[in-house]
Amino acid sequence: MAAKDSPLKQFEIDPISNIELGGYDISFTNSSFAMLITVLVITLFLTLTVNTRSIIPSRMQLISELMYNFIAQLLSDTVGDNGKRYFPFVFSLFMFVLIGNMVGMIPYQFTFTSHIIVTFALAAVVFIGVTILGFINHGIKFFTFFYIPGVPFYMHPLLIPIEVISYLSRPISLSVRLFANMLAGHTLLKVFAGFVVSMPFFTGVFPLAFIVALTGLEILIAFLQAYVFAILTCLYINDAYHLH
Amino acid sequence: MPQLNPEFFVSQLFWLAVFFIFLFVFLWRVSLPRIATVLEKRQNKIDENLSSAKELQDQAMEIEKKINDQINKAKLETDETIKETINALQEDVSSQLSSLDKDLEKKVSDAEKEILKSKDDQMKNINNEIINITKLTVGKITDIELSDNELNKVIETHKGNFN
Repeated sequence: MAAKDSPLKQFEIDPISNIELGGYDISFTNSSFAMLITVLVITLFLTLTVNTRSIIPSRMQLISELMYNFIAQLLSDTVGDNGKRYFPFVFSLFMFVLIGNMVGMIPYQFTFTSHIIVTFALAAVVFIGVTILGFINHGIKFFTFFYIPGVPFYMHPLLIPIEVISYLSRPISLSVRLFANMLAGHTLLKVFAGFVVSMPFFTGVFPLAFIVALTGLEILIAFLQAYVFAILTCLYINDAYHLH
Repeated sequence: MPQLNPEFFVSQLFWLAVFFIFLFVFLWRVSLPRIATVLEKRQNKIDENLSSAKELQDQAMEIEKKINDQINKAKLETDETIKETINALQEDVSSQLSSLDKDLEKKVSDAEKEILKSKDDQMKNINNEIINITKLTVGKITDIELSDNELNKVIETHKGNFN
């Protein structure tokens, strides 16, 4: 699809082994491989570092604890006591996106979060889960979520559709934000990497230096986007408990 | 754009579901409870240490209070003893002083009496001597015999001139 040296070539999916199930192609691809690496890194790290369960933590154990406390704090700040039940989900989501982004920063490694279908699936899970949660908590009253109190009555015909649209666009904004960030960052890196090769003599050093700086920025964005994904999930869960 | 190629959508969704569900269940059931127990254990340990530290502090304060009480008590006792001793000594001294005073007074009054008595005696002796001398003198000069009573009268009238 893309040209041989296109910056978008890095996003192409290559099957590693072809698998078919019930007529569907579920080949194990480089994307699946990146997910496998991500899951292995997370599970092994969180298991091995806390293996000793020491009261005075080693440095590695401290990292695990810091991540745990980071998300626990995030949930309790945004949702409160109700949030504890969703901690494993939000934590898994955060870690999956974070380590997925970080694995993508390894050269030649595929970034599965740069695929809209993946991020949209994660966002859709959040969206559908939160909507169901809202109906469980409030029943039919959940629709009052779209009704903003304290606004002149003649504004409601305008505001209610806006609220509905903004609610329905949540999974899109959530997924596109992550996807676009990853796509743009990796594309930019690739474009400048192309400059390093194509520029004459030693001038290729300049785009190389830029790549180094950009890599730092991308690592920051990788963390930031995982954080944004997690905090928005927390806020949506909070909305399902407290309508406005 | 490879992202919009639906060829591998099913495959990606399938593996995403597999890996994410595995990750979620694993973290939920294995990793997170482990970290939670460690954190809880640490918190318990900290609480325990804090409470035992508090207990020890309380104990130390109690002991300090006891020591202070005892010091105060001892001070009061010594003060009392000192006071008592001073009082006893003062009483002793004053009683001794008063008895001494009495003795002295008695001695002084005795001495006065004696002096007075001896003075009287002396005066009598002097009177007698005067009478005798006067008798002798008058007897030698003249032949008049003066009786003691007459002489006494004369001496009494001139007594003021002797003193």
